[in-house]
Amino acid sequence: MIEVRQLAKRFTQGRGKKARAVQAVDGVSLQATDACITGLLGPNGAGKTTTLRMVAGLLVPDTGQIRVDGIDVLREPRVALARMGVLSDARGLYPRLTARENIVYYGRLHGMSDSAASQRSETLAHMLDMTPLLARRTEGFSQGERMKTALARALVHDPPNIILDEPTNGLDVLATRALRDALRRLRDDEGKCIVFSTHIMQEVERLCDRVIVIAHGHTVAEGTVASLNAQCGGHDFEESFVKLAFSAAERERV
Amino acid sequence: MNAWVVFRKELIDALRDRRTLLMVVLSSVAIGPLVLIALSALVVGIERHAEERTVLAAGIEHAPTLRNFLERQTYRIDTAPVDYEAKLKSQSLGDAVLLIGKDFEAELARGDVPLVEIVTSSGNQRAGASVNRLARLLHGFSSEQATLRLALRGVAPATLDVLEINDRDLANPQSRAAQLTSMLPFFVLMAVLYGALNAALDTTAGERERGSLEPLLMNPASRLSLVIGKWGAVAAVGMLIALLSCFSFLPAQALLRSETLAAMFQFGLREAALFLALLAPLAAALAAVMMAIAIRCKTFKEAQANNTVVMLGVSLLPLVTVFNQSGEAPWHLAVPALGQVALMNRVLKGEAVGLLDMALPLSVCALITVAGVVFVARQLRSAALR
Repeated sequence: MIEVRQLAKRFTQGRGKKARAVQAVDGVSLQATDACITGLLGPNGAGKTTTLRMVAGLLVPDTGQIRVDGIDVLREPRVALARMGVLSDARGLYPRLTARENIVYYGRLHGMSDSAASQRSETLAHMLDMTPLLARRTEGFSQGERMKTALARALVHDPPNIILDEPTNGLDVLATRALRDALRRLRDDEGKCIVFSTHIMQEVERLCDRVIVIAHGHTVAEGTVASLNAQCGGHDFEESFVKLAFSAAERERV
Repeated sequence: MNAWVVFRKELIDALRDRRTLLMVVLSSVAIGPLVLIALSALVVGIERHAEERTVLAAGIEHAPTLRNFLERQTYRIDTAPVDYEAKLKSQSLGDAVLLIGKDFEAELARGDVPLVEIVTSSGNQRAGASVNRLARLLHGFSSEQATLRLALRGVAPATLDVLEINDRDLANPQSRAAQLTSMLPFFVLMAVLYGALNAALDTTAGERERGSLEPLLMNPASRLSLVIGKWGAVAAVGMLIALLSCFSFLPAQALLRSETLAAMFQFGLREAALFLALLAPLAAALAAVMMAIAIRCKTFKEAQANNTVVMLGVSLLPLVTVFNQSGEAPWHLAVPALGQVALMNRVLKGEAVGLLDMALPLSVCALITVAGVVFVARQLRSAALR
C-alpha cells in the first residue's frame, strides 16, 4: 500500500545568473492498494519519474507526505525501502557479474543470507522465464534480458510493494508481453501492490486496474479506464487521456 | 556488514576485469625488476670499461718512453683508427684518442715541452668517460719524468709535492647503490597509482555511466557503508599491486649481472616489508582521492581526464627533492607521495627509519582517506540523479 499526498518538488537548473527554478512536481497525490496494478500515466516531463524517485527515498520532496505500508518514507527511508522493490529508469547491471550474482548482490544488501538470496534468484528466474540466463555474465544481454534481470534484482527481497518506472521502454512485443504476464501473476498470486509509470496508453488499458493521470506536475484525474472514459464522455482512451492531460491551448498547438 | 558485501562484490568485479588487471600487474610487477636488470647491465658495462686497460693512441711510435711508461702501468696500447675524428663525432668510437706529435721523443730528450693531445667529443659521453683516465695516466708520466730530472739534479722530489692527498669515501655500499636505485621507489609508487586507478573509476564514475548507481541507492544500506565497501576494494587492489611490485624485487635480485650492484643493492624481506608498510596507507589515501574526483564525473572517460591531476601530482611531488637543493626537510614527510619516496630511499640507503618517521605520513594518509570517503558518501545521492 502506497499513499502519496500533495507532493511538491522544485529544482534549480543552471548556475549563477542563468539559474531558473523548475517546478517538477506540484501537488501529486495517489493511492495504490494491495493486489492492484496502479498506472501512473502522463506525458513526458509530467513529473512521473520525479514522483517515483521521491517515493523511493532518492529525492527529498519540498512538501508532502509519502507512506509505504504506513511507514513514513521521509522519516524512515531505509525501513520503507526494505518494503519496496524499485525498477527505476536506470537499470544498469554489472557486466562482469553473472545474472545470479547481480541478483544475489542486492539480496545481500537487503540483509538476506547468501543461500536465501541464491534460492530466491532461482524462484524469480523461474517466474520471469530466465533460468538459462542465471549463470551467464550480463555483458551482451539483450534489452529484454537486461530488464528481466533488473526486475528480478528489484524483487529479490520479496517486497510487498513494487514500483516500476517506464519498464517497457526499449522492449519488443514479446518481452513486453512477458513482463505484463509477470506483473499480473505478482498481483494475482502474491497480492502485491504494483505502481507503474508509463506514457503509453495501450499499456494502461491492457494492464492497469486503476489509472492516475499526471500532467504539469499534478494529479489531474484518477479511476479505472472505463470510469475515465465515462468522465470524458467517450470510448477511446487515447482521446480521454489527451483531454485530461493537455490544456485546450496545448491541444490547439498540435 | 553491508560494507563487507559491497567490498566483496567490488573486489570480485575488479579481479574479473582480467585484461586491465593483467596489464597493470605485468607493468607494475615487471617494471621494477626490469629497471634493476637494465641498471645492472649498465653497471657491468661501466665496470668492464674501467677494467679494460687499453689506451687508444695515434703516433705512439714517436714516443717510446711514453709507451714504456704505459706498458709498465699494464696498459695495452692500441692504434687508433685512421678516421677516429669522424668516428668520435658519430659516437661509434667509445674511447678518447691520444694524439702524439712526430717530434715527441726528441723534444722530451731536449727538455722541451712536447704537446700531447687528448682528442674527444663532448657530445660523446662514452668517450668522455675515458678522458679522465688518460689525463691521469699522462699526469703520472709527467710527474715520473719530472721526478727523474729532479733526482738527476740532486733535488728531493718532495720539494714538488707540497701536499699529500688522500681520498676518504664516507658512503657505505648501500648508499652508493642508492644513487643508482633511487628511481625504484618512484616506479613502485606509480604502479600502485595505476593499479588502483581503474577500480577507483569503475566503482564511481563507471557506476554512474552504467546507470547502476541509482538502483544501488534504492537498497536499504547506508551510503557510508556503500562507499566504505567500494573504497576498501579499490584500496585492496592498490595494496595488492604494492605487494606484488615490492616483492618482485626479491627474485629479481638473482638476475643481477653486476656483482657490485648485487652486493650493494640489499633488498631483503625487511626492506620489502618496510616498503609495503609505507605504500599500503598511501594506496588507501590515493584510492579515496581518485574516487572523490571521479564521483563528480558522469563518465569513465571524464573521470580519467580529471584524475590526470592526481597522476601529475604524484609523479611531480617526489621531484621536490631534486629541485630543492637544500636536501630533505622535515615537512617533506607530511606530503603524500614525497614523504613515501623519501622514506623508501632511506630504506634503500640502509638508513634507520624510525616509528615516528612512519607515523607522520601514515596519519596524513588516514586523514586524506577519511575526508575522501566522507566526501564520496555525501556526493553519492546527487551523483546518482544527475
